Amino acid sequence: MFKEFAKGLSITLKHLLPGNRTTVDYPKQKLEMSPRFRGLHRLVPDQHREKCVACYLCPTVCPAKCITVESAENEKGEKYPKVYEIDLLRCIFCGYCVEACPVEAIEMTGAYELANFKREDFNFDKERLLKN
Amino acid sequence: MVNLTIDGKEVTVSKTATIYEAACEAGVHIPVLCYAKKLLPYGACRICLVEVEQMKGRLIPSCTTPVTEGMVVTTTSDEIVKVRKTVLEFLLVNHVVDCPVCDKGGECDLQDLSYEYEVVTNRFEGEKFDLPTDEVNPLIERNMNRCVLCGKCVRVCDEIVGYGSYSFINRGFETKIATAFDRGLNCEFCGQCVSMCPVGAILPRPFKFKARPWQLKEVDSVCGYCGNGCTITLGTKDKKVETIRFNDKTGVNDGNLCIRGRFGYSYVNSDERLTKPLIRKDGELVEASWDEALAAAVEGLKQAGSAAGVISGARLTNEELFLLKNLAAAIGTDNLDNSGGECYKGVTEGLQQTLGLQASTATFPQVENCDAVLSIRSDFYETHPVFGMVVNQAVRRNNAKLSVIADKRGKFTKLPNARTLLHKPGLEVNILNAMARVLLDEGLAKTERLNGVEELKGALADYAPETVAATTGVDAEAIKVAARELAAAENAAILLAYGLPYTAASKELGIAAANLALLTGIAGRPGSGLYLCGEKSNSQGAIDLGILPGAEGMGVQQMLTAATENQLKALYVVGEDMLSSYPDRDAVEQALSKVPFLVVQDIFMSPTAQKAHVVLPAASFAEKNGTVTNAERRLQQLRSAIPSPGEARTDFAILQGLLTGFGQDAAAAPADVFGQLCAATDQYRGIDLEMIGPQGYVWGGDILTPITRNLVPVAGTQPVDAEYQLLVGSSLYHSGTVSTHAKGPQAVVAEAYIEFGREDAKALNIQEGDLVKLRTDAGEIQAKAKVDRRLPQGVLFAPYHFGALKLNKLYRGQAAIPVQVG
Repeated sequence: MFKEFAKGLSITLKHLLPGNRTTVDYPKQKLEMSPRFRGLHRLVPDQHREKCVACYLCPTVCPAKCITVESAENEKGEKYPKVYEIDLLRCIFCGYCVEACPVEAIEMTGAYELANFKREDFNFDKERLLKN
Repeated sequence: MVNLTIDGKEVTVSKTATIYEAACEAGVHIPVLCYAKKLLPYGACRICLVEVEQMKGRLIPSCTTPVTEGMVVTTTSDEIVKVRKTVLEFLLVNHVVDCPVCDKGGECDLQDLSYEYEVVTNRFEGEKFDLPTDEVNPLIERNMNRCVLCGKCVRVCDEIVGYGSYSFINRGFETKIATAFDRGLNCEFCGQCVSMCPVGAILPRPFKFKARPWQLKEVDSVCGYCGNGCTITLGTKDKKVETIRFNDKTGVNDGNLCIRGRFGYSYVNSDERLTKPLIRKDGELVEASWDEALAAAVEGLKQAGSAAGVISGARLTNEELFLLKNLAAAIGTDNLDNSGGECYKGVTEGLQQTLGLQASTATFPQVENCDAVLSIRSDFYETHPVFGMVVNQAVRRNNAKLSVIADKRGKFTKLPNARTLLHKPGLEVNILNAMARVLLDEGLAKTERLNGVEELKGALADYAPETVAATTGVDAEAIKVAARELAAAENAAILLAYGLPYTAASKELGIAAANLALLTGIAGRPGSGLYLCGEKSNSQGAIDLGILPGAEGMGVQQMLTAATENQLKALYVVGEDMLSSYPDRDAVEQALSKVPFLVVQDIFMSPTAQKAHVVLPAASFAEKNGTVTNAERRLQQLRSAIPSPGEARTDFAILQGLLTGFGQDAAAAPADVFGQLCAATDQYRGIDLEMIGPQGYVWGGDILTPITRNLVPVAGTQPVDAEYQLLVGSSLYHSGTVSTHAKGPQAVVAEAYIEFGREDAKALNIQEGDLVKLRTDAGEIQAKAKVDRRLPQGVLFAPYHFGALKLNKLYRGQAAIPVQVG
């Protein structure tokens, strides 16, 4: 019985040794996120403009109704999002917008540090989303 | 009737039905791309293929195959699904599939079918279309890369509109829809092709990238322009009218609209709308609160009492007109009138004296089955385009014989086999008299039960066709044939439109048309009708409700004279821009300047409103609830779709406010007032709102039987003797003055013009676009020239919609104005 007890405890003690830690010293140290992680959204830029063509599928599919799109016509006669906003306070990070997008113009990054001081700061407009 | 079985369901349908129609009746869904209810069967898309037991071995297109007795139809089977899927794959070989940027996405038939039949891969490969798109056109956007060649646009433009803008060009894989010589569109811009296109190949340009179909809220209402009373379904988003949606389920128009209905809505969203009440202080109009403005209006009108005048436009709802009438009574004045005061006399006096009625005798859809149609003035199509499309169908589908008594050529005269009685301006009555004479002389007239036959015979002594032919320039034989056709037809229609630019001899024309309707038996006969159609959306309602001078009261013209002579103490103008549209601008201007107190209620700061002491901002048709009565007596409901801009209020609310100021109780809602007005109006008695269904409610029934049958002799006129004569009228693209604030009509006709025939233009050395001057003793006007082929020599034309032209300086209600050019 004692033998088994020592054996078990040795595993525990082994884990106490340096190099065997599973937690990290956040915020000094940060974990690498899985590519499938659903963090802050990002609008994908194209050469001269955003990839988004303002098809309205993401605001339509969004269960939290946190996406605002307003389409317009640019000088080339193309459809583009004049307004693209995500209200992060409402977002539930379900990723449906990414799934719905027919042109892969929106994706979710690994960014998870989204705390902020003011309500307005949670409103991500097109410029902010493109910079992510 | 024929019995058949569709998917195990027994159906009984008429023997003219197709399998598709029978399936619709049985509630069995068959997918279609090229089928449309109002078009002739075509069979282009091959999506609707079905199996018929009796025709085994091949699939049958259900939309073109007539039903036969005992047919057993199967609409779905593995083979059918496979074939339909293959058809879709073929269509998608060249289709660009740009759904994310296509405005049709969400209501596209091709998209829906691809989804339904799970067309996710394509076994076939081919080059995608790379055709040039037309995005320059301000109203109709064409992108033939998305086209599925169903031919609906080609067919609607030909069969319904009768314009024929489109056609298939090239062959095989290269086939596409294009205009003549593949140029840009230059048509009526009615947008019927837009409404028919099952995919995103033809789209409304003003709606480009504005919204997705599923985001739009749809509100069925009635078009606010002409007396046709078309149902328009407003597509609204964020409290703005974004587009007009296709709707062939409700209303009298079968989903057909003209440029005004489809593209003329944008004045509703205009930034120039009045948003605050204004009061004149120290000579300036300044913003005021509603309380102040209403108090000032009440005070001024109260002081004037019986010396006040009330002039209304004919685009208010019945409820508002009823309140207006109550208000006139509260002010204590009999001086009440609508729309220029002269133009509707053909109905109020002409028809009253002859038929004892004040309305058209039949409904619009009946005309489709007519064998003969007489249109008095070719402008009928311009004033009532959608009714004109019904006439087109009578001509094309029913081989109706169309005669047009016209002072200029127009759409009607171009219809197949149309007989144009092209006469010198202002002589319509002479020709109608000659036709009546032909009927009497040849014994074709149905004179039993008619009063005054002998008097009429005597009075028509001078109107032998040959004599009239000599004065009017019309072929005598044509007059005779037109009269004979009208008398011989089982179902016939006589059409005449009235409106502000057609003031001349309004009563005489009404009587002459009614005489003819009585002699031919058209008046009151089922299937036939005499149509006197008002120019505005509620012209008929205004007459029904008696927005007319009372026993002691003055009409518009007398009010204006009285104002000039300082007899009128106050004037309340609702929904009319008198300065821009009424005949004799100088007289109107003088009257408006002299009247001590002028209240104008309108949606724009019109030239008339600028002269006012109090301006009350009102609501457009899209912001109102209520009923309107169209030119065939059909009551239909307006439904509010958006809120009014700023502080603007509906005319109903404003009139309520004024009535309260006069210490009267006003009912709270339009629905209550509807009850009151029905109780107070003979023709409307017994109608309640519930009875006004999707197709409206026609008071008096489909056929209105004449109460009296009096023939009344009317004298014709002599031709105007002048080298150049100016005609005033309506342009197809505009209606009244309000359409000049709408982007759609403005995109096609942006400013006033003076139209010349080619011969005259050549003789005068005038090119299209040249600035030309017209002079009379009354003044001169200046506008750009338009050179066309439709005017006879010596005849010029100018549309009356544009206040800036000041056309009514010259136009004083004459049929034709002698002018000097240059």
